This record gives sequence, C-alpha cells and structure tokens, in this order.
Amino acid sequence: MFKVQRMSKLLIAASKDQLEPVIRELYRHNVFHIEDFVEQGEEGYEGFKIGKPIEGASATSGKLLRIRSLSNMIGISAGDVESGVVQGKGALSTRIESELPKIEDEIGVLVERRNSFESNHREYIQKLEDLEIFAKVPMDLSLLRGYDGFDVFAGSIPQDVELPVDSEKFFTAEVPGNLLIAVVPKESSQEVERFLVDNGFTAVAIPVEDGTAESNIEKYNQEITRLESEIGQLSEQISAQKEKHAEFLVACEELLTADVERAEAPLRFATTNEAFVAEGWVPSDDVESLTNDLRASTGGKVFVTEEEINYDEDAVPIEYNSPNWAKPTEALMDIYSRPQYTEFDPTLLVAIVFPIFFGFILGDIGYGAVLLIMSFGLRKLVKDSVAGNQLLDVLRNASVSSIIFGVLYSEFLGFACPWNPIIMSRHFNIGAAHGGHGPEAILLLIVTAWIGILHITLGRAIHARNAMIQLHPGEHRSKVVFAQIGWIIVMWGILLAIWTIAPIPMMPDLTGAMAIAGYNIFLLVGALMILIGIVGIGRESALELMELPTIISHVLSYTRLAAVGLSSVAIAAVTNFISIGMIIEPAMADFGIVSIVMIIVGIVVFLIGHILNTALGLLGGGLHSIRLHYVEFFTKFYQGGGRKYEPFGIIRKFTED
Amino acid sequence: MAVETMTIEVAEASAVGFKAIGAGLAVGLAGMGTGLAQLGIGGAAVGATAENKEMFGLALLFTVIPETVVIFGLVVALLLLFT
Repeated sequence: MFKVQRMSKLLIAASKDQLEPVIRELYRHNVFHIEDFVEQGEEGYEGFKIGKPIEGASATSGKLLRIRSLSNMIGISAGDVESGVVQGKGALSTRIESELPKIEDEIGVLVERRNSFESNHREYIQKLEDLEIFAKVPMDLSLLRGYDGFDVFAGSIPQDVELPVDSEKFFTAEVPGNLLIAVVPKESSQEVERFLVDNGFTAVAIPVEDGTAESNIEKYNQEITRLESEIGQLSEQISAQKEKHAEFLVACEELLTADVERAEAPLRFATTNEAFVAEGWVPSDDVESLTNDLRASTGGKVFVTEEEINYDEDAVPIEYNSPNWAKPTEALMDIYSRPQYTEFDPTLLVAIVFPIFFGFILGDIGYGAVLLIMSFGLRKLVKDSVAGNQLLDVLRNASVSSIIFGVLYSEFLGFACPWNPIIMSRHFNIGAAHGGHGPEAILLLIVTAWIGILHITLGRAIHARNAMIQLHPGEHRSKVVFAQIGWIIVMWGILLAIWTIAPIPMMPDLTGAMAIAGYNIFLLVGALMILIGIVGIGRESALELMELPTIISHVLSYTRLAAVGLSSVAIAAVTNFISIGMIIEPAMADFGIVSIVMIIVGIVVFLIGHILNTALGLLGGGLHSIRLHYVEFFTKFYQGGGRKYEPFGIIRKFTED
Repeated sequence: MAVETMTIEVAEASAVGFKAIGAGLAVGLAGMGTGLAQLGIGGAAVGATAENKEMFGLALLFTVIPETVVIFGLVVALLLLFT
C-alpha cells in the first residue's frame, strides 16, 4: 500500500523469425516497459547490435505522416471524436489504400485555395495600411515617382514647414500624423532631407499604385470583402469535409501509429544476425500471463526469464500502486516527483491528509458546495488530460472535506449555521451590534501546531524507515537512522521544556512537576533529550545542525492552517456585514425607490465579495495544504526522481487488430 | 490647549486601538517582506518553468518558501487580537 507497484525485470530472447509475433503480443498486452538497448559493449552483450525496423516501416510511417498532416490541416484531434464503431484492421487498411489519396486531393485543393486567398487578404490589408496616410492626396499616385531630376519626399511631420529651397509641396493635417509631400530638385535633396529630419519628419514609402489613393483604397476594400466571403465559403466546405472524414482519419492514425511503433520496436532491442534479446520491466502480477501468451503465440519458440533486480544500478520504472480513491492524488505527486522504487510511497498519506488540511482551512458549507459543483462543471475543459481530470478529482475530495468541516465549524458563506460549532468556533461577529467573543484563535493555533508536530514526527520516522530499507547495513545507515531519531528527540525535548515554562491549553501542563536542585524535572529531561538529539544529528553531518531552527519554524508553519482559514472567514464576514448590515438592512428599514437601487448594489457587493473569496479560498486552501506537504513534510524524508513507467502499447479507442 | 483627562475607559479603548494597529503592522510589514522575497524567486521560477515544464513542482515549492514569513505575521496579529 505504501509501496509503488512491484516490478519484475524480464529478458525475452528468441530467433529473429519470432520477432513479429513477440512484438505483437507485447504490444497487445501493453505492460512491457522496454529498456532501450545501447551499444556500449556491456558485459554479456558483446557482438549484439541495435535491431533494424521490420520491413514496410518506412512506407507505413510515410502514410502516417500524410494522415497527420491532413489531420493537422483541418484541425482534427482524437479528443474531438467520440469513439463509435471499432474498425477492423483489414477493412481499414483497404480503405486507406483506396480513399486516402482522394481525400488528400479534395482537402488539399480546398486548403491550398484558402491559403492563397488568405495570403492575398493579408497583402491587401497591408496595402490599405500603406495607403491610409495618402487618403487625402488629390493627385494620381503615379505622379509621385519616376523622375530623373527630382526626388520625392513623403512622410509624417508634426506641423507644416516652409522648405528652404525651391520645391513643390503638399501638406495635409487631415490624416493622423499629418502628411507632407515635397518634390525637390535632386541637387538640393540632401539639404532638404536634413532640414526635414530636424523638424521631426518620418518618411513613409510611396505606394506603387496608379490613380488616386482614395480610389485605390476603395478597390482594395472591395477585394477584401470578396476574399472574406470566399474564405468563409471555403472554411465551411473544409469543416464539412472534416465532419465527414474525422472518424476515418483518427482511426487511420491510431492504426498506423500502432503499426509504426511495432515496426520500429526492434530499434530498441539487441540483435544478432539470427536472434534478438529484449529487456524490460513488467508489473510482477502480469509476468505470468505475458509469459504464457508469448509462449503460445510463438509455439514455445521463445525464452523468457525473470532477471534479478540490482537496486544500485537498475532504474526501475515507477507505477503507483494506490487504491482507486487515492489515484487522483498521483497528479499532486507527479507535480513534485515520482517516488523511487524502494522508498516509502506517500501518495496514500497525501490522499488522506491533503483534503483534511483543505477542509480545515476552507471549512464552509457554502464554499465547499460551490467548489464541488465546479469540480464537476470543469470536466469538459480537461476532457483528454489525465492530469487535469485527476486534479479535478482532488478538488472534489477536498470540497467534500470542506463541507464536512463547514458542518463542524457551523459556517455557511461566513454566516453562522443554526447549530453551535461542534469543534472550535471561527465566527467573527463583526459589526457594532454583535456582541459575543470572536473566534477561538488560540485554540485553533494550538491544534494546528499539534498537527505540525505529529506530521513532522511522522515524516522523520519515515526517513528512518527508508534508510533501514534502502541503505546497506553498516555505520552509515546507523548514523542516518540515529540522526532522524535525533531530530524527533530534539523536537520533543523542546516541547517538554516549553511545557514546564507556562501552561498552554490543550497541551500537558508540567509547570508544577517535581523539582530537582531547583529545576523542574521535565526541563532537565527535555534538555537532556535536546543534547542527545543534537549529538545524533551532528554525527551524521555537523552542517545539518544549522537547520536546527527549522524545528520550530516548520512546526509554526503549520499554524497557517488556522491563520489562512481565519482570514478567509474574516473576508466572508466582512463581505456579509458590508452588503447586508450596511447596505441592504438600512435600505429595507426605510423603504423607497432609492432602496431598490441600494438593495441591488448590496447584492452585487455580496456576490463580488464571495466570488473573490471562493477564488482566494481555492488558492489559499489548495496551495497552502500542498505546500505544507511539499516543503514541511516531504523534505523530511522524500527523495523522488523515479522514472515513469511507460509500457509498450496503446489503449485503442477506434481500431482493433 | 485642551487637555484630555486620561480616564480608565479612555486608556482601555486606546489599548484596544493600539493592539489593532499592531496587528495591522504585523500583517502588513510581514506581507511586504514576503512580497519582496517572492519577487525574485517568482520571476526566476516562471522563467525556469517556461524553459522546462517539469520544473513546475520545484518552482512552486521555492516560490512559496517566503510565505512562512507572512504567516508568522498573521499568527502574531491573531495572538494580539484574540488574547
């Protein structure tokens, strides 16, 4: 339960004529994580070479490429298509031969025409932009170019200027940025250019057009309208084609992908002229059925054996082994890192503790219900993403926990429910009219500190357990284990010492205990524990002693469970007080036309406040809960860095062999 | 110049007021400290994640480390207000 899926290392060897049936069987089972063969003269693999793809691989991948480019052109992805009828391989292959070229032609022509229209469209829009500044020029644009003895300047300028030389000039302020056109003799053009630049002149290119700018603008506008309608029609035709062929195309892609992956599998095997060897990982539970099926499909002409795992050298691929209800939490684990094969897999612990933390922070029936609805409503957005669905499942579990804590705290959108809080009260009673005392903040803080103490003790204990299993017996291992126990002892020693100083609610009161030589006995015991612990830690690594203050800061860090929660309740209470106490209630008391407006304003304030607080609650509750795991809990024991288990094969949706 | 007489009620009221100011300062200044710390870490974290998506978990972790400071501020504020 607290271990990842047990894996077995399989070695499959057979003569080359069995290559195809073996690969087919491995692919069908979808459990064999291939360990890629690398030619580096490994012991026992002398003379082996990387295999060659099965015949026909390049033709198949050529076809796959065509299908993919087609799907890409018209924007089909497997996620858009509902899996309907499962198509057989034979029928589909003949259809690929007969129909694919036809479909390619049809769609190719349409897409090509649309592309050319679109590029024209872009070109015309660019031309329109260039012409815009010349819109008020009354003369023919062809008159502005093609002179041997004159230079033409055109561009924008902050205000009209008198040119220092003999020239023809046109100026208009009717276009944005103003337009100045000047025709000057070639010999004085340098002087004019300098003069113009000094006056803030920016040159623009003169459009190469005949006729006035205005007539050209009209012409291009008409062209653009025509092109837009053409493009619209073509897009409709393309989406009709997409509708028609989508199912066929995704089925083809799936079939061909499977074919190509199988054909290229020998590239990952070690081969000689006559035989091949495949190494890989299979979940231990599946070894027997896979072995039996391999033997059956090759008529017994295959050698399958389970190799011993060398934990120091082999990187075992990791597949989680958590019960179904805890599966969604794997997404949270993947965000951090997959566990290693031999270490404690904390997925199940996170699956239990994360929702509790979330509920503790955002314990409110109203917010919990909103988030629960959201976790179902957002499914459509993450249809194909496994991680997305998992995260929504996590949100669902967390919001159920939030509702449960809402009942315990007696809270609904910051209001008090008709019953008294079953655990601590977080009610703020804001507003002058309300009496009563505020939230039991101190109790909440102490409870959360307790949670922190226990959580951290657990984390350290798990580290000791990991060391016992992972490290070879010897001095190093005992040092690591004692260091972890040392951390725990120091923490509890500090606690004992604190309890002797002042009584704290919900914690043992040791202030009145027996005294030895003027000192409280528990203070002495605590000091002794701290000393022993420090020795244990220091023996592993003296540098670690620098981390001693984290014992206190990490425990105090758990008080965020109370603090963030209280701030969320405070925002809710303030929203309620402003919207109802300060706007709606006074309006109702003195009812008039203005009151209706005031009531609407009050409702708007209420909604905005609570929407904001829901978002903050989701972020605060989620991020702080997961952060306590990542930073405070995982750093105590978790190594991570496991390799993902990726079996050879796919889950078929549209086709079958 | 009018001299306010310091009655017990006035003293109690101003004690409550000072507590509230203290609580506000605790949260506000701690928040600014956290913000300053997260400024750099957050920027670098976003950059790292943009280059390599797998960094996200670690980047998030680094980003939230200074948050402890503001939580301490909040805890101090709560202690001030409710003891």
